[in-house]
Amino acid sequence: MLEQVMNQYNEAVMDTDRDRALQVVRDALGLEISPEEVVFKIVVPAIELMMKSISEEQGVSLAQHFMAAQIASEVVDDMIPRFRKAPEIVGRVVIGTSRGDFHGLGKRIVSGCLKAMMVDVVDLGLNVAPERFVDEALAQDAQVIAISSMMVHTARGENGCIRVRQLLKERGVEDRIRIAVGGAPYRFDPELFRTVGADAWAENGITAGRVITDLIREVHQ
Amino acid sequence: MTGMERLSAAINGTMADRIPVFCNLLDQGAKELGISLEEYYKSGELVAEAQLKMRENYGYDCLWSLFYVGKEAELLGCSKMIYAKDGPPNVGEMIIRTYDDIARLQVPDDISSHPAFAEELRCLRILKAEAGGKYPICAYLTASMTLPSILMGIEKWMQLLMMGPHDLRDELLTKCSDFFQKQIAAYRAAGADVLVYSNPFGSTEIIPRTFFEELSLPWMARDLEPGGTGGIVYYCGSSRFNNVIEEVITRLGIGVFYLSPMDDIAEGKRLVAGRGLTCGVINDIMLLEWSKEEIRAEVKRMIEAGKPGGKFLFGTLVMPYNIPEENIRTMLEAAYEYGQFESP
Repeated sequence: MLEQVMNQYNEAVMDTDRDRALQVVRDALGLEISPEEVVFKIVVPAIELMMKSISEEQGVSLAQHFMAAQIASEVVDDMIPRFRKAPEIVGRVVIGTSRGDFHGLGKRIVSGCLKAMMVDVVDLGLNVAPERFVDEALAQDAQVIAISSMMVHTARGENGCIRVRQLLKERGVEDRIRIAVGGAPYRFDPELFRTVGADAWAENGITAGRVITDLIREVHQ
Repeated sequence: MTGMERLSAAINGTMADRIPVFCNLLDQGAKELGISLEEYYKSGELVAEAQLKMRENYGYDCLWSLFYVGKEAELLGCSKMIYAKDGPPNVGEMIIRTYDDIARLQVPDDISSHPAFAEELRCLRILKAEAGGKYPICAYLTASMTLPSILMGIEKWMQLLMMGPHDLRDELLTKCSDFFQKQIAAYRAAGADVLVYSNPFGSTEIIPRTFFEELSLPWMARDLEPGGTGGIVYYCGSSRFNNVIEEVITRLGIGVFYLSPMDDIAEGKRLVAGRGLTCGVINDIMLLEWSKEEIRAEVKRMIEAGKPGGKFLFGTLVMPYNIPEENIRTMLEAAYEYGQFESP
């Protein structure tokens, strides 16, 4: 039965049909599938399946990434208060777009996925100063700073990741905090993340979920 | 030969000395004149002067009337641009902050007399007077499906597009399409030759194919219906679109395709199948990193894939501000060299 529900949910997500996906979840609860199972056996596997489809170049569009993250985020918000006990949080990330960058779509997709993967997301919004990324990461005890940049000059510029790396070094906290980056300039230059001093990059918002949780685990080890 | 002759030959499949080479140097104009980007973009005269100087200096085949993409938001009421010292200005305020703002959005009656168009118009007139008929003058227009991204932010637009309410989505698309029709008419009246029709939402990398067929195609048809597709270049930003070329030709009648750097050029040409001009576009972000040898090898690879049989143009994408001049020159010289046609 669970497998059937999972297939129905996946189909609705791939069709970008939010209403149908939410209905599948409501029906699942009626079938005595627990809220925990909804999140960990339906929603998270659906994100993982989308990651697989992307890696196999099955032509998943940005709109499908957006809707998968949006639906996942809504379902998780609805399910967590119904959990028998509060879920264990994997870690915490502060996320924002780099200074001078006002493109928030990637950040929103990443945040939706991370939420489903039980990562606490502190969203700093758009046009974030490097000092703020670091101050907030320290204040919130985050393991990862995630920086989204859609323009070449905001990805490579001195007020983006390069400065965040410098600040982490100056404050002696590089062992406690990792940096993940993403956005178009990184897709067109896959080595750029190294140039700007990031620890990892993600090709899209969905796979960013995995990249960031890997970095969190690295810090925890 | 002039750039216009090369472009015409490429479109018509007739002989020329080499393939046309389009180089999208925009922000570099400020560097050329030794001024800040903010000062540069205040004046249509300065933009025209730099465009003419850069084309003369590098020898490529096009001129741009585009200042920056956010100009369209200014025409629709945005009054704040945020300037960087080494990249294009960003829209500094979203004119649609809530869904109620959609009803309030006003499409100007006459773009040509709009104050926010005055400097671009001045630029176009100078370019036309100095180089009209010799070098194609390019204008940049954002499709109705994509324009809301700079009016409300792509995040909110994606939400409205995918989740509705659909009546509001359609109201906004109608206004954006009305704006597009007026804008393209203004550019045509001012003498722009090449009309780059920018629509990432015309690529299935951005929206699913069903949305492309049910929404993108009809809205693109509406955008283009009054003036037709003369001079129109299909362009989806950096998104790939080889897999929709057939529909774009048969349903919209567009005949020029400015591919993504990630598209397979040979495949694109095969799909266009002689029915139009295929433009191979270099991943110019890598011009910040590549060596001279790497640049030449990439240009050679691209031109070898696209040149056989003609009807091919070599082009660039965003041309980041900090690309070393030497690398721009290396790319262009390689394109001129490998793009040559042998005399019959």
